Amino acid sequence: MGHQQDEFADFYRASKDSCLRAVAAVVGDRKLAEEQVAEGFTRAWAAWAKVRTHPCPRAWVTRTALNLGVSRWRRLRREVPLADYDAAAPARQADGVDPDLIAALRLLPARQREVLALRIFLDLDTETTAKVIGIAPGTVMAHMSRAIAALRRDLPSAQTKATEVSR
Amino acid sequence: MNEHDVMTQLRESFSGLHMDTPVAEVFARGRLRRRRQLAGLTVATAATAGAAAVLALSVAGPAHTRSANPAPPGRGSVKLAAFSVARGPGGSTTLIMRNGPKYRQLDPAAVRLALARHGIPALVTVGSFCRAAHAAPAGLSRVVHPGAPADGSDAMVIDGRAMPPGTRLSIGYFRGAVKIALIEDTGRVSCSTAAGQHAGGNTAIRGG
Repeated sequence: MGHQQDEFADFYRASKDSCLRAVAAVVGDRKLAEEQVAEGFTRAWAAWAKVRTHPCPRAWVTRTALNLGVSRWRRLRREVPLADYDAAAPARQADGVDPDLIAALRLLPARQREVLALRIFLDLDTETTAKVIGIAPGTVMAHMSRAIAALRRDLPSAQTKATEVSR
Repeated sequence: MNEHDVMTQLRESFSGLHMDTPVAEVFARGRLRRRRQLAGLTVATAATAGAAAVLALSVAGPAHTRSANPAPPGRGSVKLAAFSVARGPGGSTTLIMRNGPKYRQLDPAAVRLALARHGIPALVTVGSFCRAAHAAPAGLSRVVHPGAPADGSDAMVIDGRAMPPGTRLSIGYFRGAVKIALIEDTGRVSCSTAAGQHAGGNTAIRGG
């Protein structure tokens, strides 16, 4: 058990921030993301014998954390209208992250945000992202392409910054 | 602004986010989660040394076994066509597994779940039996006792509180017998599809 605990602790230290960033990019709420990622890691520890052999344990944790968000959303949906939940969410953004960026991310469909987060923050390639989410590689590429195009369009501040840098 | 720029900006924007939760909290939550799953299992005192034992229960008579549906939530009695789990005397749990030609239709996951709700961790297999690859944990005779069989069923009374820490029950369900052993949670197990193959120190409760 001691060896497994050390191994898991090393994994946790190396992966926690990237998992948090990926989930925060999808849910747009730092506190909620940390809560879900912590629970994702807890479940990974509970099933460590299995998770440690996963092709990408970080992706397992992130996927689990995101699924927890879906479960939470479903619970909330039974209690309050979806519009209310979405309207309240922007007030609780990821700390220190450009609000324009968070707003632009929230405009993306959930699947596109998920693909974006896995590709960018976990550095997963198309094939692995497809396996983790359970969709075809071609669909991953299509989601990624659309998400990037939408961000380029919806991020005026980013375009401005890019222009300033190029001058 | 090309794709690379967008990805770089995203990475940089989130680079200030760091997980504050210490790993110790994850371990603590894991322990709490496990305690909840075991639902009231009282950890027994350290097991004394003893011979490994495998209990073999014989078939009482022919009876039809049907597939079990998932057990309902709660810790109360579970009575299904293929098996039933009920609270027994003195905090023990009575497991009845109905035997017959359709024994393979028994849902081992449903049995495992029903036992877990009574605080009894178990590995349940149908048509095979798993036991410790090396020395089996001692104390099986304090944990499992033969019950009063009825209607062609195999009955056993299980005292979950007497299980040594870090162990679970291995229950192998065959057409002609139910075999039980204690195994360690993290230890290696050896599984066999032969109903008649026993480890040393077997105890036949009835006829087996």
